[in-house]
Amino acid sequence: MYALEHVLNHLPAILVISLFVFAFIMPLLFIWKRDWCVPVATLSMGLSLAMSLALVIQVNQVGTFVYHMGGWEPPYGIEFRVDYLSAYMLLVLHGIGLLILVYSIGDLKKELADRVIGWYYTLYLLLMGAMSGMALTNDLFNLFVFMEICAIAACAIISIKEDRECLEASFKYLILSAMGTGCYLLSVAMLYMITGYMHMEKVAVALETGAAEYPYNVLVAMSLMVVSFGVKSALFPLHVWLPDAHASAPSPSSAVLSGLVIKIYAVAMVHLIFRAFPRELFEMIPMLEIILWLSTLGIIFGSIFAMVQENFKKMLAYSSIAQIGYVFLGIGLFTPTALVGGLLHILNHAVMKSMLFMVAGIIIYSSGIKRLQHFDGIASRLTWTMVAFTIGGASMVGIPITGGFISKLYLAQGALEVERPFFLLVILVSSLLNAFYYFPISINAFLAEQKREDITFKPVLKSMLVPVLILLALIIFLGLNPQPVTNMLEQAAEMLFE
Amino acid sequence: MSEDLIAVIIMFIVLFPIFMTAVIMYVGQKSEKLCTALSLATAMATFMAVLSLYSEATGGNVIEYPLFEVLPDLAISFRLDILSYSLALLSSFVWLLATIYSLDYMGGEHGKERYYPVLIFTLGSCQGIFLAGDFFTLFIFFELMSLIAYILVIHEETPEALKAGYKYLIVTIIGGLSIFLGVIIIFEVAGTVSLGQGPLFDEYSPLALLTFLAFLIGFGIKAGMFPLHVWLPDAHPVAPSPASALLSGIMLKTGAYGLLRMIFDVFGMELFQSLGWNHIMAGLAIITILLGSAVALTQNDFKRRLAYSSVGQMGYVVLGMTVFNEYALSGDIFHIFSHAIMKSTLFLAAGAVIWKTGKKKISDLQGVGRQMPITMGAFTLAAFAMIGIPPLNGFLSKWTLCLGFLEGGYTAYVIVLLVSSMLNAMYYLPIILPAFLGGNGATSHHEEDERTGQAEYPVFEVNEVPLRMVIPVAILAACTLLFGTLPTNVPFELSQYTSNFLLDGFF
Repeated sequence: MYALEHVLNHLPAILVISLFVFAFIMPLLFIWKRDWCVPVATLSMGLSLAMSLALVIQVNQVGTFVYHMGGWEPPYGIEFRVDYLSAYMLLVLHGIGLLILVYSIGDLKKELADRVIGWYYTLYLLLMGAMSGMALTNDLFNLFVFMEICAIAACAIISIKEDRECLEASFKYLILSAMGTGCYLLSVAMLYMITGYMHMEKVAVALETGAAEYPYNVLVAMSLMVVSFGVKSALFPLHVWLPDAHASAPSPSSAVLSGLVIKIYAVAMVHLIFRAFPRELFEMIPMLEIILWLSTLGIIFGSIFAMVQENFKKMLAYSSIAQIGYVFLGIGLFTPTALVGGLLHILNHAVMKSMLFMVAGIIIYSSGIKRLQHFDGIASRLTWTMVAFTIGGASMVGIPITGGFISKLYLAQGALEVERPFFLLVILVSSLLNAFYYFPISINAFLAEQKREDITFKPVLKSMLVPVLILLALIIFLGLNPQPVTNMLEQAAEMLFE
Repeated sequence: MSEDLIAVIIMFIVLFPIFMTAVIMYVGQKSEKLCTALSLATAMATFMAVLSLYSEATGGNVIEYPLFEVLPDLAISFRLDILSYSLALLSSFVWLLATIYSLDYMGGEHGKERYYPVLIFTLGSCQGIFLAGDFFTLFIFFELMSLIAYILVIHEETPEALKAGYKYLIVTIIGGLSIFLGVIIIFEVAGTVSLGQGPLFDEYSPLALLTFLAFLIGFGIKAGMFPLHVWLPDAHPVAPSPASALLSGIMLKTGAYGLLRMIFDVFGMELFQSLGWNHIMAGLAIITILLGSAVALTQNDFKRRLAYSSVGQMGYVVLGMTVFNEYALSGDIFHIFSHAIMKSTLFLAAGAVIWKTGKKKISDLQGVGRQMPITMGAFTLAAFAMIGIPPLNGFLSKWTLCLGFLEGGYTAYVIVLLVSSMLNAMYYLPIILPAFLGGNGATSHHEEDERTGQAEYPVFEVNEVPLRMVIPVAILAACTLLFGTLPTNVPFELSQYTSNFLLDGFF
């Protein structure tokens, strides 16, 4: 009993560290007991899912709590801060991460060379650990460290496929994301110069007076931060790396990159905006307004670019640019309701987009089809897969009883609350644009005659289909009964805004 | 009946068909017979359940029942008042007949395992629209019904159907988004989306205007109102005939129902009238009437002409709801009944003709009336009702509407009605007269006789469609006559109750 309590007290640290430990066990296991790799990786993710659940329960019981690494108090030690938002994000990360991992077992056998599969799980767990750290940390420099791990792991799970396209894409990604982290480091350095702290809340307190003394430094720091997180989470027009990277990566990597990685930067940004900067600063510097307009452009142009794509995964990648726009729209409108919408869309989009990338993976696995023009009639062979695609598309459009509808509802309500109905119209127009590129694919897949005779369909593995169907059920569940999630997020938003 | 029991029945009406959809879909893969039997049973059970509420609804009760909250203050809830009840009764009745008709009509068709679940699902969601207790629920069922009906539109899978279906899909989504806009605005402004709370807006504001436009576009698209009717003449004819009958007869009415709810529950008559928005709607309705009828004249495709006629007839319904007096409104509601019955008769009869002879062009229909006397007789009756010949139900609804217009001082509307009746006559008579009197378009069987010179004037053998197709058509045709003449005229009474209820809140 005592031991359990001990574990519970150190849960935030154990969660992150266990993932890193398991990550480094992977290559050893791969040499020693090759068959154990997958079960151990699954076990690790299952454990972290259990731990995130425990954290969610803890947060619901005691509210926000902090954890000091090694017992060192800030400003000297690193602080992890578990609030509703981080607990929620951990649950999303590990819940969907586990499903993607299960899916990857079948998919990777086809997409990767045998000798790198062990390494793949190393990178995957490393990525998960870094993202968990980013959700938890309350320290600017520690955040930078996790961002670097995350960026490198993310690049590596693209380039691990070792074909020309992937290498090119991951190189592009590496450069841009290094630029992003560089910007962040500069910005942190400036803030440190002004305030003398790395601890977010302490920075905020110090900035209240410091901003008046060093207005230009703060201005530059904040703009660097927007650029950095904009690049990382593919905020328009800093999205240029995303389509190539997400489209060429192995499908499980695409699912995790599009579904989770770009979101974690949005969450980190929410933490920074609400914790590290005093509220008055936003009246001085129109950072939120800029985010708002960039997200609007992203929503519209992401969809327009997606419409003209011929490659299925590329279309999904462009659609991600539009969808991340919703998340930033929720942040930029700066009202609790809209923020709930944006944060809810993190979950909804993670569910939808991971599912859609898995669907793409299944189609490629089974038939090798990558181009949309060859989708005619494939639903006769891949019925459930295409049903999942259709429901996923409907959720993207925001049809009622799917999860996407609920996040749009919150965003729309938020836009009206701040009396800016224009953004409500943006949401509606983008829904329509989504319909323009998602539904024709379903229609072709279900109704068109199969034109090409030379395509053979391999049977789909159960381990690939089951995660897709679980996510499909989740989409409907979130559309019918979003209250468990929205209640938590409403508390999160309330706390952030107080 | 206790309120709990009523609530259970209401939920049964909406959720039972939706639940049965899954069952039918599952069974349909194994046994076709069981699939059709279950569909029929579901449609029958739904109709019976609606019927069982008759005395409750006409007793003036309003029953509200929240099912569960999706989000705080946004619940799935149901409500039974006389307007909901009238439309639920009408739709479940027509649905039952269309399902019976489908048994033989779809007998040799492909994709039955898809057709029946969709038919039953749209039944459930349509009842959901009519029995919804708030705009949120209404919107959800509206969107579900419209989107799922896409599968009915494209059932034939011809390139033509796919093209029409795509148009339908896009327009439906635009409509759905518009209604979403309206719902979210009233939620933000009024804090509630429930029906029957009295007017949710009490004065003009830009948001009120936006709400009006959003609902006008959203429901107007569904109701086929000018200039948003463009999808309708493409989508309705390509569907299988029972589905066309439902699309044109019932699903269009969901748009009209939404507009009625908008006028009476969102804005209230006084505000609506003082802002003059009823004149905007009336103007659009008049264009719709004249345009729909005029274009119907030029169509040579049998079902397409009927579809354009629907556009015109929905114009009457929209026009009727812009005049707020007892006659106009009861005429309006009664015309919803009449048009549903007439248009279903016409589409089902047309379907029977096409099913039997394969003739889709009006110019080929000579002599069909002698070959299929019951079907074409029913068609004729319904067409006469459309024109407004007494004593059919179409006459009664037009008569009541005209009385209302005159009482409200809108003489011009009466003239529009008369002109359009004349146009109706001009496009229906050229179908009917040659069908009975023309004689050159003999079937191949008779051409043989001609060749042997035994018949100078081709003799048409009576060659009707199967009984299960004739009976629904005959019942509907009988309704056009009965609901114009019966002394205790159930739909007309319901319409009068409804109009009193809308005007005064009780009856």
